[in-house]
Amino acid sequence: MIIRASSLGGRAGLAVALLFSTAAGAQDRPAPDPDSAAAVVIAIPPLATAKKVDTDAGDTWTLANQISDLIVADLKSTSSFIIANAKAVRIPSYPEVTAPSYPQWRSVGAKLLVSGFVNARSDGRLTIGCYLYDVQAGRELDRQGFAVTPTEWRRAAHKCADAAYTRVTGRAPTFDSRIAYVARSGTDEQPVKRLAVMDFDGANHVYLTDGAAIVLTPRWSPKGDRIAYTSFEGGRLHVRIADVDTKADRPLLPVGDDSFAPAFAPDGRTIALSMSVGGNIDLFAVDSGGGIPRRLTTAPSIETGPSYSPDGKRIAFTSDRSGSPQIYVMDSDGSNQRRISFGGGDYGSAAWSPDGDKIAFTRRDGPLIRIGIMSADGSGDRIVSAGPDDEQPSWSPDGSRLLFQRLDPGSRRTLLAMVPARGGEVRTVITPQSAADPSWAETQE
Amino acid sequence: MNCKLPILFGVSLTIAASAASAQIPWPRLPVIFPLGGSQPGSPPPPGAAPVTAPPAALQAALAASAGSDTVYFSANGFTLDSNAAATLTAQARWLLTNAMVRVRLEGHGDSTDTRDYALAIGERRADSVRDFLVAQGIAPERISVLSWGKERPGSIRIGASSVAAGPRVVTVIQ
Repeated sequence: MIIRASSLGGRAGLAVALLFSTAAGAQDRPAPDPDSAAAVVIAIPPLATAKKVDTDAGDTWTLANQISDLIVADLKSTSSFIIANAKAVRIPSYPEVTAPSYPQWRSVGAKLLVSGFVNARSDGRLTIGCYLYDVQAGRELDRQGFAVTPTEWRRAAHKCADAAYTRVTGRAPTFDSRIAYVARSGTDEQPVKRLAVMDFDGANHVYLTDGAAIVLTPRWSPKGDRIAYTSFEGGRLHVRIADVDTKADRPLLPVGDDSFAPAFAPDGRTIALSMSVGGNIDLFAVDSGGGIPRRLTTAPSIETGPSYSPDGKRIAFTSDRSGSPQIYVMDSDGSNQRRISFGGGDYGSAAWSPDGDKIAFTRRDGPLIRIGIMSADGSGDRIVSAGPDDEQPSWSPDGSRLLFQRLDPGSRRTLLAMVPARGGEVRTVITPQSAADPSWAETQE
Repeated sequence: MNCKLPILFGVSLTIAASAASAQIPWPRLPVIFPLGGSQPGSPPPPGAAPVTAPPAALQAALAASAGSDTVYFSANGFTLDSNAAATLTAQARWLLTNAMVRVRLEGHGDSTDTRDYALAIGERRADSVRDFLVAQGIAPERISVLSWGKERPGSIRIGASSVAAGPRVVTVIQ
């Protein structure tokens, strides 16, 4: 796997310079089917350091342990890895990072080995190197090196975990990604809702709005530099755009008709949204810099909740033209509208998968509100969460998992939860407060 | 918040006057004072609430006069049933009498709607109410519309317990 240095600018202002990267033998076998592949045993010993040096993020020896711990945590959060017991084996010395002692890793059953180093540079930054080895064959599979500020060591660790993850599963990277959501405090009658952003694992949590106005449904731009969201600021329901790094924030459209439910097109230049014009709620497309909205739908019913296909050619959305909210698909110019949800009950919050094949949704059926997935043509409708109050699915960048909002029946608070797209164990994502409306950043290259 | 309304109808009414949040639907009262007949711009008739009254008092007066400041809808529904039409007809009469009053129609979705759909259907319900009031002769400029989606679930107390107020539009005095 090769990560181009230019592609690492996904987060403006972060200097995660790629120092080296190889992909030895990257093309020598087809990518395995991630859903059928058995879990791989992987050894992840603490990183080595040439010299213990104090940095802004602690000394390099401590960082070496923290980085390997984070790689372990990332890979353990998937079902594709079993972590070998590295405690039974001598911690690799610095020279062994590039010349591993394969027999000792075979002795603990490892098929793969991640090793690496962290060194302090004279300019105050860190050099973090990451190596992936095939223990059985005794050869290097991949290496990556990063120059980061000490406070950005987590990103390098996530990228290292991504290297192992993409190698084993054939999927897109997923750990060096961020989640936007709405943090909720206050009371039921007077809720305080703030736009929040955090790393995929909950680190680096920041608020982008101050809670003075209720905010809803954040959606990432494809590059991860902006978030479109719905706001009640000024007592007016309207879509706003927040710049994630500068926190600059502006209305998308001038004062006028109510607008809500934004979604970025994959090109990042267009936003689809709902507008209420003359008492009719339809979908429109508007340039992400503003401008005149272009009408996409004309039906007298409600059209809302748009989600673009990854090629940008189609839009999934919610309409109640049949008498109840259902999911429809149309071309991105509004033509060829047709209903695809027929599983019974009410549907909404369509989310098109990164591979373009599937659409996740919320389905209300009797007392249960659950998350489900169907093919983009509407076939194969299946439920993947148990409910009873789940909502708002958002795909992981690699399409393997769904992040969604869940009402915890005990505390009556909403939280974020993840479930594998094929179904399985639901994991709670820790947030400082009640959490709703998650959006997982789309693929960072 | 409760407030006393001693003057308007010669009887003292205590009304839960928090209009933005849902409340116990006020039992329908007979219209004691003959209302209606006034046009926008004409001096308020003797039965009109003084325009200098605080919004909470006006809100309570509207609710008392019309039976309720709130009309309810079925799930996924936005059409007005006969109860809603009767309430809104009475609200329109009060608004014609109190011609200086402006209102905001606050539409709500159901807590089990998805976030987007709740906003949309709340807007749609408020639009239904606006259309009805305009047809009753209320000037459109006096009416604004806001959907809360499912952000203000409200509650109705039934004995010791409370249930979500659900799909509704509240006529809120501005």
